Amino acid sequence: MNLSDRFAPALDELLGKICQFMAVIYSGRHGAGAGILAGDGLVLTNAHVVRHNRILRVVLDDDREYDGKLIAQNPEIDLALLRIPKNGYHTAMFSGNLPRPGEIVFAFGHPWGMRNILTAGVLSSVALAKTLKRSVALLRSDLQLAPGNSGGPLLNAAGEVIGLNAMIFGGDQSVAIASTEIRAFLHNAGVPQEIFL
Amino acid sequence: MSNLLVELSTAMADAAEKASLSTVMVDARRRMSASGIAFAGDLILTAHHVVERDEGIKITLADGSEVAASLAGRDPGSDLAVLKLERAAADPAEAAVGVKIGQLVLALGRPSRDGFEASLGVISAVGGPVRTPHGSLEKYIRTDAILYPGFSGGPLVNAEGKVAGLNTSGFGPGAVLTIPAEIAWKIGAQLAEHGSITRGYLGIRSQPVEIPPAALKTLAREQKVGLLIISVESGSPADVGGLIVGDILVGFDGQPVADHEDLFARLTGDVVGKSTAVEVLRGGQPSVLQVKTGVRR
Repeated sequence: MNLSDRFAPALDELLGKICQFMAVIYSGRHGAGAGILAGDGLVLTNAHVVRHNRILRVVLDDDREYDGKLIAQNPEIDLALLRIPKNGYHTAMFSGNLPRPGEIVFAFGHPWGMRNILTAGVLSSVALAKTLKRSVALLRSDLQLAPGNSGGPLLNAAGEVIGLNAMIFGGDQSVAIASTEIRAFLHNAGVPQEIFL
Repeated sequence: MSNLLVELSTAMADAAEKASLSTVMVDARRRMSASGIAFAGDLILTAHHVVERDEGIKITLADGSEVAASLAGRDPGSDLAVLKLERAAADPAEAAVGVKIGQLVLALGRPSRDGFEASLGVISAVGGPVRTPHGSLEKYIRTDAILYPGFSGGPLVNAEGKVAGLNTSGFGPGAVLTIPAEIAWKIGAQLAEHGSITRGYLGIRSQPVEIPPAALKTLAREQKVGLLIISVESGSPADVGGLIVGDILVGFDGQPVADHEDLFARLTGDVVGKSTAVEVLRGGQPSVLQVKTGVRR
């Protein structure tokens, strides 16, 4: 069995897993961003995808549309949480650990509005960025992302969410908010913690 | 969940971690720190262009400790420099053998005290010799792995965590090259010993010409081009060795020479200052002359 025959099923499995918890988020005339199901009826995305909207159109993988209502946000770490009706969808599993430099990472999102695009690279480093109040763990990777990847997951090879893609610098480096930060944000928003491994 | 992707991911992270132990931060220029590779306990290989000062150089090792270093030697031609640590505290890297196009590689750097960084790519090309702004490089590697700021002087690492070469962006904008480990190690050893690289000279001017078909038969090998000697400096090594205007230089030190790059690349290392076989076509007939190569100052 050659290498691609062995890799293809592994990638298929990974993709099948990811698609189930992906969302497209339309914020009026500002185009689309990505989001992920982080609990039953809860969609996590970037604060900058939400902008000043209170209600956003959320489309899930099976093309069902919902009105997403903003229930929590923290612009300082660029995270926002929307509520849609409970529907029993699969939710993402978040890694409880920080990844290692050199690890294979995947981004999944809708760059330039193309739906469900997978991008692969490695983790460059875990960086601490100072904000006004504290320092935030950021994941830097060599993924080449584009608008529409914002709010989408950064995943490890096992398909666990290790971060949320947020900032894209000069095309050759992308920055994601680490899952450890997401955990604290969801905790503050009152979301149960069983989605964390 | 354990599958091939997870195995590959773990292997790449392990490779990065292994090579990161010998990847150091080099603080030897004003604005941005750069990276370096320990190739002996007390010797660091880095890029010549990131060493802007000879004194007050600081090296940060993988464990975060800082060691003072001094410049042992530099070679602008290959953009390499060697720094000597105050004490043998570094963990020497292991050089990779047999680099192949398509292999997965990681570019590593230690641009800050926050730890090392990595980017992924493949070996895109292996080639050489090539002219550089200040000399030449007998062999080079190209990769599509991104060099982030401060990555110059850091290693290109294979999937086993061995060093395939030293990355540099010092050959001009957009000209990111990797100096193969075997060459970097060789030049590094010479720099550590002598402080500079000795390059030889012959004292000729030449231009590439097609070898006439008749002469091609007498040469009896697949070589279509040679260097036509158009002037010989009086009293130069070439003059003393008997080279004359009109000779077509086709070989040097037992290797075919087809252009200036070939000749330039061969005029380094052991041959300098020694009597070396120069193969020419004279009147359509091959002949070998012994020329004692001069040292270029």
